[in-house]
Amino acid sequence: MWTVATYVLKKRLTRTQRYPLILMLEPLFRCNLACAGCGKVQYPPHILKKQLTPEECFAAVDECGAPMVSIPGGEPLLHPQIVEIVNGLVARKKYIYLCTNALELKRRLPEFTPSKYLTFSVHLDGQREHHDFSVCREGGYDIAVEGIKEAVKRGFRVTTNATFFDGAEPNGVRAFFDEVMDMGVEGIVLSPGYSYDKAPDQNRFMGRARVRRLFRAILSNRKPDWKFNMSPLFLEFLMGDRTYECTPWGSPAYSIFGWQRPCYLLQEGYAESFKELLETTKWEEYGVASGNPKCANCMVSCGYEPTAVMDGFGSMKGFLAMIRGTFSKYPDAHALNLLSEPMPHGAGNLIQIGEPSHKMEETAV
Amino acid sequence: MTSEVQKYTLAQVESLELKPGTEHEALEGWVPELASPEDLCQALEKAFDYRGDVTITTKSGEKIEAFIFNRHTAATLADSWVMYFTPKAPEKRKLRYAEIARLEFSGKDRAAGKHWEDWIKAYNEKKAAGEKNIALHPESLE
Repeated sequence: MWTVATYVLKKRLTRTQRYPLILMLEPLFRCNLACAGCGKVQYPPHILKKQLTPEECFAAVDECGAPMVSIPGGEPLLHPQIVEIVNGLVARKKYIYLCTNALELKRRLPEFTPSKYLTFSVHLDGQREHHDFSVCREGGYDIAVEGIKEAVKRGFRVTTNATFFDGAEPNGVRAFFDEVMDMGVEGIVLSPGYSYDKAPDQNRFMGRARVRRLFRAILSNRKPDWKFNMSPLFLEFLMGDRTYECTPWGSPAYSIFGWQRPCYLLQEGYAESFKELLETTKWEEYGVASGNPKCANCMVSCGYEPTAVMDGFGSMKGFLAMIRGTFSKYPDAHALNLLSEPMPHGAGNLIQIGEPSHKMEETAV
Repeated sequence: MTSEVQKYTLAQVESLELKPGTEHEALEGWVPELASPEDLCQALEKAFDYRGDVTITTKSGEKIEAFIFNRHTAATLADSWVMYFTPKAPEKRKLRYAEIARLEFSGKDRAAGKHWEDWIKAYNEKKAAGEKNIALHPESLE
């Protein structure tokens, strides 16, 4: 937190208009899962066989300068030099979130060294049945949990990360939070799904109204032991308490193709350098205010968490809101009552919180 | 871009319950007619969005199997280019629009025909047949 705070303050003092907070470093697109909702791995075999070298990864990290590096993919643990990549980033004192489905985690853990800079961010989309269905693999949850427990036992920092699509059930998600905290993880990372243009299935993407309703149900009335490894202001944004614009340059993405325009989610082309990305991308054409349909349902962390972090560290008001959010349990009798009611359309559908609450009509009390 | 609207108002965005997905054209096997510069630009834009390889025939007669991942459309075909990877070379390559004579969407669309409902159907059928460890598996890379 201190590293990020000083980084943001330094950028503000130097009046830097656009700066990255976290680099999304995709060393490969190959994966050992075949999730129907995934829009990241739909490539021909010769593309899936390609991967960034450690030197290419280090050059991108050095050029970008972000204090944090997220390593998604594909499945990073399939990269034969992932340990070398991680060690090189640790040596650069970058905070690394290695995003993994954990199918290979237990087997490969002995190759890694615990460090305050390294966190395994394990993809778990919900309780056993929900997760296995989401990743289209029976038994995936049990393997991932085994990996998590082994990583925790060995002294690694571990979080879980979950993506929620239409059909996520709030009570199940809350029970899932209890489960993962019992595993000894540091915190939970979550995000609504994005309507990836290249995803095989295009029918399960929530709009913003539905996202806010879902997250208001999930994140109100928090249990004391739940910890979220995210900006509390971003979580308030998901619940409908805050309106933010996207900061697409906050989480730039680098892969075998180059620097992705304009963000981690949209593939509108590539720049050869980070400088070129910043200077030549038509940023005004993206974000909800632009009206761009490709951004219409997006409330995803890679675009909005940088906004929340910059808000939190950018003013005393934002900082105090962040502190308040860190300790608040967000009591909301209306959300609690609705969680206690029977599901209106069966277990596969969302709870309809219905009556308006705070800023957004569908989340109001 | 296949959403039914070109632009949303902020009010429309905030009230969206479900986001219309992208309707992908069935492009596999397509050989676009490249009668004009506009035809070529439109076809290459589709090739950029395509989730598979295309085969480019250059005006010199060379055939290139390519995954197009980037493009730049400028005022003239000579100033416009595509960037691509081929299965046989490790490095990125660049080709000017002006050099392209023919385009064929020759490779498999890597996501076509896959739906969530198909997974549910397959899962239920396999479960009913008593199978265990039911899963979708990544396609072979060979």
